[in-house]
Amino acid sequence: MYLALFLTPWVLIYAVSTMAMNHREFFRDLYGGQPVQWEIESGQTYSGTIPEGAKPAEAALQILESLGMDGSHGARAAGGRIIINRMHPVNPRRITYNPANRSLLVEKQVFRAPVFLERMHRRRGFEQNYALDDTWGLSVDVFIVAMLFWVASGLWMWWEMKVTRLWGGVFGLAGLALFAYYLKTL
Amino acid sequence: MTFQYFNRRLHLYLAMFLMPWFFMYGLSSYPFSHPKVTEALFDDGTSMWIPRFERPYDIDVPAQPDLKQIGARIMRDTGLEGSYGTYRDNPKVVNVYNYTFWKSTRVTYFIDKKLLRAEDRRFRWDQFLTGMHARGGYDHPTFLEKAWAFTVDVICVGFLLWIASGLIMWWQLPSHRGWGWLAIAGGLGLFVVFLVGL
Repeated sequence: MYLALFLTPWVLIYAVSTMAMNHREFFRDLYGGQPVQWEIESGQTYSGTIPEGAKPAEAALQILESLGMDGSHGARAAGGRIIINRMHPVNPRRITYNPANRSLLVEKQVFRAPVFLERMHRRRGFEQNYALDDTWGLSVDVFIVAMLFWVASGLWMWWEMKVTRLWGGVFGLAGLALFAYYLKTL
Repeated sequence: MTFQYFNRRLHLYLAMFLMPWFFMYGLSSYPFSHPKVTEALFDDGTSMWIPRFERPYDIDVPAQPDLKQIGARIMRDTGLEGSYGTYRDNPKVVNVYNYTFWKSTRVTYFIDKKLLRAEDRRFRWDQFLTGMHARGGYDHPTFLEKAWAFTVDVICVGFLLWIASGLIMWWQLPSHRGWGWLAIAGGLGLFVVFLVGL
């Protein structure tokens, strides 16, 4: 019970985000196309120096630190530019550095509920050098273990309650039959 | 029948009915959370794709094609059945991905070479699980696909009902309220830290 109460926000986010992902077409129509949109937050000339031959990951780290935006991110080179995706649950940013004119463009993702939910659903840890990122990954693992534990403990609790054994068994078998049917046909 | 009785039964019977999905979503989350571990566990170095056939093929693909229509044509011409998606990696190819829970076939039409290649994906348990986990959406034409998508919605509503009925059941146990509040506050606090700091 206490585990369930502790993990309530995770249960909530995974349930609502799954529903949003299950109705992706609806939201695409609602937003008139691609729901992910960016708006310019700032543009500036980068005053630092990126060492020649620096990999996108190295350049990204330096740029993020200089902007005071260090945190989980991905970086890639495209068309001579370095594009940094600074991950954040609520306010992700895209930073584009153009070495030709040293311009630095910071864009903020327009907040949209289904995009936020899907981002939370897909977020995992253990891939970045940030402790909080790994802590999130650990919380996801705890949630996985909790789900499997709830299945086992739920079955045990049902079996212990003789008065609900019959109908519990009927519902359990009905669910299992439907699941097996999907497995066979889909 | 009192409300408390109804609430307890709803919590239990809903859980019993949806248990296979609950178990599947729990188990299949692990490969998503630890892709490197599962990849190392299941990848034995053999090719993921086993060639099925390669043959001459010639259909008209306009510059702005209706991919669903072209996918349906390729599925029909190759005798494949079941769910599929059509996409393009680049303007010179059309890809059709045909899948069931158990097997997948990748069909590639090379437009300039007028060549059709079909490959079957080797079965792997981790991909079987992640395939089930990721399946959903109402944009597929068959009734069964829509029925699965509807079941996914039912599961989501089931989760929300578990939260609500669980909170009501907890509140009915005054001796557990103190520790319950602590657990709720702890979980909510940590979640807010993630929302702000991640």
